[in-house]
Amino acid sequence: MSNIELSDIGRTTIGADEEPSSQNGDNARALASTKIRLGSRGLLLLSWLAPVALVIVWEWLAQAGWLSPQVLPAPSKVIRTAFKLATTGTLLNDLGVSLLRAAAGFAIGSVVGAVLGTLVGFSRIAEAAIDRSVQMIRAVPFLAVLPLVIVWLGVGETQKIFLVALGVTLPIYINTVLGIRQVDPKLLELGRVQGLSSIELIRRIILPGALPSILTGVRYALATAWLALVVAETIGAQSGIGFLAMDAREFLRTDVIVLTIVIYALIGVAADSIARFLERRLLAWHPNYGAAR
Amino acid sequence: MNIHVAPRSRTSFESGPAVVVNNLVRSYGSRAVIDRLNLRIERGEFVALLGESGCGKTTLLRALAGLDSIQGGRIVAPRRPAVVFQEHRLLPWDSLWRNVSLGLQVPDARERAAEALTEVGLGDRLDDWPRNLSGGQAQRVALARALVQQPELLLLDEPFAALDALTRIRMHELVRELVANHQPGVLLVTHDVDEAIALADRILVMRNGAIAFEHRAVRDGSTPISRAELLGELGVNSHSPN
Repeated sequence: MSNIELSDIGRTTIGADEEPSSQNGDNARALASTKIRLGSRGLLLLSWLAPVALVIVWEWLAQAGWLSPQVLPAPSKVIRTAFKLATTGTLLNDLGVSLLRAAAGFAIGSVVGAVLGTLVGFSRIAEAAIDRSVQMIRAVPFLAVLPLVIVWLGVGETQKIFLVALGVTLPIYINTVLGIRQVDPKLLELGRVQGLSSIELIRRIILPGALPSILTGVRYALATAWLALVVAETIGAQSGIGFLAMDAREFLRTDVIVLTIVIYALIGVAADSIARFLERRLLAWHPNYGAAR
Repeated sequence: MNIHVAPRSRTSFESGPAVVVNNLVRSYGSRAVIDRLNLRIERGEFVALLGESGCGKTTLLRALAGLDSIQGGRIVAPRRPAVVFQEHRLLPWDSLWRNVSLGLQVPDARERAAEALTEVGLGDRLDDWPRNLSGGQAQRVALARALVQQPELLLLDEPFAALDALTRIRMHELVRELVANHQPGVLLVTHDVDEAIALADRILVMRNGAIAFEHRAVRDGSTPISRAELLGELGVNSHSPN
């Protein structure tokens, strides 16, 4: 028994190289032809097939009455709700408020993170003074401090912006420090040989060298900023996308809730595209990011 | 050989040596890697420095470049030397002309970089990225970056070691030409005996942290130093089969 299996395996593996058995050969040809037929456009279409099919099935199930509108409204219903809220309701205003909170928190958090990260990246003294505290704060999931933040700042705008900023500061800080530390010492040496001043050294060598890591931090930060905003707006907000969702929950408006979830998702995707665009633009020189030339 | 081309119009206002080293000491802890070393390189003079691994060649070059502190003696050079390292050390995020003009404090940096790149045969690639270059091309850009500074002293730290044989020969010709045109003093640290013979006016062998052997090449047709003799100085018995 084992003998037969062994010889079988042996024949297939050797045979595949030199003289494929008919079955193997057919498989290989079929695979090759699929590869040829599916260009990059074909693969793109294929990748959208499953999500689109899912939405169609969802719509169909809802129309057929298999899905109660209280549980999950049809996609078409969600779209209608979106239009109605956008034209007659407060959707655009809420969206603006949410984006403003995210932007303010992101701006504050990234400045704090970048400044602290730069200090620690350059100075051993700053590292000794700052880094341990930051690492200890990092051990706390930043959403766990929410009750404390509410006690401190109430449930107003400050609390929301603070929470977003907190979520943004840490990834920016960590990746800035990492980026500066990872700059090739040989290039720093070259800078000295070429007679660069300290400021030129930072501008021409250290910051560009640290940029890939910093931008990775920005991408993480965008994700955490969004997460922080969802949580902050879910608790005691008077406006914003999260408020819209909580308000809708009270009236069992599932269509509005689904709409807010979709909006959160779309904005998350948009933020990630912006980060990717920045990477492609700023890291055009980098073999892993820049557009191939 | 045409290494002693008459110096071009680029006049140096003072014609002193490119570098003078007196009793240089460089030590790690109690171990002196360079031990009371003396060296003088004239402008326009091409000096090759040979020696076994770990004899202190690169340490000497780094001390001359001002990259390491020294524990004794004096290094006198009129200006900061330019250095070409074994790796090209181009900044991957800067175009070629930005790389070449790195540290150049003049308003017409791009023009100067363009001239230097043209000299090394890459004048049509000013705005290209370093990652699109071959190893030899990248090293040519590094040469341009060194020469655009118009150094009195050019330090070459095994700049051709990582290149293939054919590219290396082309680089030798290019370096010979560039040095003839710009007339800096050159210190070439190398492992390659043939390279030293091909390029240098003077060959030094370093041993125990000091210059142990010196040979002044005579380039007017009389017999140059033999490979075997140099290898002997380096502690290699060249008669053994290899």
